[in-house]
Amino acid sequence: MPGPTNTLLIEGSFEELADELAHYIDEIQKKQNPDSANTQAEIAPLLEKEQRDEALKKLVTTSEVLNTAPEKEFIAAYNLLVHLVRQSPNRDRFLPKICQNLSSPIKSSPINGPGLALTILTTIFNILPQDNDTRYHVFLAVLRVVRASSSFELLRPQLKSLDSWIAAWETDEEDQRKLYLEIANVAAEAGEDAQSYLYLLRALRTIPADEVSSKESQSLAVRALKSALNHPSHFDFQDLTSSDPIQALRKSDPDWYDLLEVFNAESLDDYNDFLESHDDFLPDAGLDASILHRKMRLLTLASLAASTPGRSLPYQHIARALQVPSEDVEMWVIDVIRAGLVEGKLSQLNQTFLIHRSTYRVFGEKQWKEVQGRLDTWRTSLMGVLEVVRTERIKVAAERERELRELEGRVNGGGGGGGMGRGMGGGRGGPKDFDMGMD
Amino acid sequence: MIGNKRAKKEGAPMKCQDTHILRDEKDTFSRQTVGAYFSCHLNTSQAMVEADSFLHLARPLGPALPGSQPTTAPLNVIIQPQAIFSILDHSLRRNTDSNTDNERVIGTLLGVRSEDGQEVEIRNCFAVGHTETAEQVEVDMDYQKQMLQFHLKANPKEVLVGWYATSAELNTFSALIQNFYGGQGDGTWPHPAVHLTVTTDAGKEIETRTYISAPVGVTADRAADSAAFTPVPHEIRYGEAEKSGLELIAGAKDDKDRTASVPTDIEALERQIEEVLGMLERVSKYVEAVIEEETPPSSALGQFLLNALALAPKVDPEDIERDFNNHIQDVLVVSYLANTIRTQIDLSNRLATAALTLGAGDGLGGGQTNGTGTEGRERGQRGGRGQRGGGGDRGDRGADRG
Repeated sequence: MPGPTNTLLIEGSFEELADELAHYIDEIQKKQNPDSANTQAEIAPLLEKEQRDEALKKLVTTSEVLNTAPEKEFIAAYNLLVHLVRQSPNRDRFLPKICQNLSSPIKSSPINGPGLALTILTTIFNILPQDNDTRYHVFLAVLRVVRASSSFELLRPQLKSLDSWIAAWETDEEDQRKLYLEIANVAAEAGEDAQSYLYLLRALRTIPADEVSSKESQSLAVRALKSALNHPSHFDFQDLTSSDPIQALRKSDPDWYDLLEVFNAESLDDYNDFLESHDDFLPDAGLDASILHRKMRLLTLASLAASTPGRSLPYQHIARALQVPSEDVEMWVIDVIRAGLVEGKLSQLNQTFLIHRSTYRVFGEKQWKEVQGRLDTWRTSLMGVLEVVRTERIKVAAERERELRELEGRVNGGGGGGGMGRGMGGGRGGPKDFDMGMD
Repeated sequence: MIGNKRAKKEGAPMKCQDTHILRDEKDTFSRQTVGAYFSCHLNTSQAMVEADSFLHLARPLGPALPGSQPTTAPLNVIIQPQAIFSILDHSLRRNTDSNTDNERVIGTLLGVRSEDGQEVEIRNCFAVGHTETAEQVEVDMDYQKQMLQFHLKANPKEVLVGWYATSAELNTFSALIQNFYGGQGDGTWPHPAVHLTVTTDAGKEIETRTYISAPVGVTADRAADSAAFTPVPHEIRYGEAEKSGLELIAGAKDDKDRTASVPTDIEALERQIEEVLGMLERVSKYVEAVIEEETPPSSALGQFLLNALALAPKVDPEDIERDFNNHIQDVLVVSYLANTIRTQIDLSNRLATAALTLGAGDGLGGGQTNGTGTEGRERGQRGGRGQRGGGGDRGDRGADRG
């Protein structure tokens, strides 16, 4: 479903417009440096000889001065340049230079500068065909501007189309990784840790299986792991464990891998054992010990809840597993519920925690079977409901029909005899009225 | 007609479509397209919107509102379906048999803007006459002004937000019209004017796009009749009630006589249960594939399913049947009582009118013959006045007399 091919609508021939733009560039340049303002004169002979690309090259080279154009004229002037470049067969040669200019700060408008640059960059992005991989480079320029102006929230709603773009551009894994990493950096700087981690993970997945032992892969894996561990509300480590570069850490950085294993499936005791055997690991690795400790307690409680068969958990058990005093148990349970790992009720009277639902830290075949079982139960019960509804519908319809007939019969019969009937007017229209009553 | 602007064109501006369409054929097409459009939107409204690939991060810098900074914040457009309906309707009523080869029609969009100006909601629209030839375009601006005034009187909350055209094509005339709508004075200035294009090609999907515009060109003359259209994201939003209504209308599109009956509550319930069963079927298939190790498992998805399923009620078919029957019986009792009361009221009304006729002349029947003519008349009048007082009262009295 391609949109209109051209969204830049301006009248006039290439030569006229190029001449006007050159004149405009000269005007601006004159203010700063009167001697060098001769673009118009330079391109005039080129235009006469119809050497459009040569003229365009001159324009693009001098277009840097447009960054000092007044705020109000900036967009119009740049749009004209883009319009000229668009007509050239060598379009892709000129665009990198323009993108580079736009990535540098716009001097005339310190407040709206990034907005102006983004407007032009998106225009360039949008006029390129959907499957043109120059879009990739334009997008990188957009990321640079977004990063410099810390406006990640603008970019965020657009990222959902990223997958389709990458597919359309046929970007290779190397470039994909670069893109994901850039987004992760932008997100991290904007304080969006969850988003940052998400793109870090995607970058990690672009590493092919035969390169997992490379230096780059290792550092990336450790970085992803670290951001997952340090994030106070990230509890799912399964997607990390399943990725190849992380698996490769088992050989290169066994300590990191062990720690991940602990967080993935084991309990607080194992975590403490790990800490004892690796004294300075946490501070050296730049991990926040208090966040990790808290997280481990929450995870342990979640595992405990998941493995309790009776669905009710005495306070003492929790206190023992979490190594906390029994009066703190309730606070911890509330924290776990808030983290979304477990749902349930606290019974202060019985000193137990009644579990409604709990998260499995390792989602294996057993859990899938449970999902299947529950789906089946639901389906059977729903089938039963459907059956009941169906028969009832038919029954009600039949009932209604029967009642209607009965009533009709009664009214007609009543109209035949008795003074009352005659008094009413001999039942004229009587049955009809009763019909209406039935509706 | 004023505003007759001339514009040179490089190529042929527009291809003239075959305009000799029979009335009936056209009519059929219209209902089909409208139905198809909405049924398609109901299922894939999100996908439709995202099919176009463009980036929208910042709007072109506009003029500053008094007392605030000029902004480059992105814009989002929301379209109410009734506006689309009017546009499609307008497109069908376009003048196809005259000499003017108007392939597209245009009109004014009305709606509301959010306080920060980042969201524009298109709620309403009206058609504006215009003619296009290869060299020039004429827009009936007097009409547009008058009509706009009337609309603003009728709907004081709505404001002018932009214009629509029924062709995906953008040309220099679009730029002219866009600059008029976004201009100072009668336009949307200082807000950007929204341009909505809706394609109405027979037999094809209806595509909608929204744009705002930025200036192009370094001289004032050039800027006046040119524009750079910036695509902006849009969403067609409808409420629950509208959705079910549209679903119903769309349901009639494949029928020969174009009718669809309104389902009763119980039928709707049945259909919904069937739908849920269909969804369950799909999920089951996926889970089965995971267990058979045909599909790679996603633990996040599994966890989500488990959480969702924990909420599913566990019910016995017998319980449901019992509850349902109880409920049905309650409903039946209520409906029976309602009918009885209705019958009662009807009966009393009849008695009242009967008494009137009786009192007026030949008294016939039951206890009333016992009374004298005058008494009958009196009673009749009283009864006539007190009709809503209920006949039960009067009936009792009659029985007493008897």
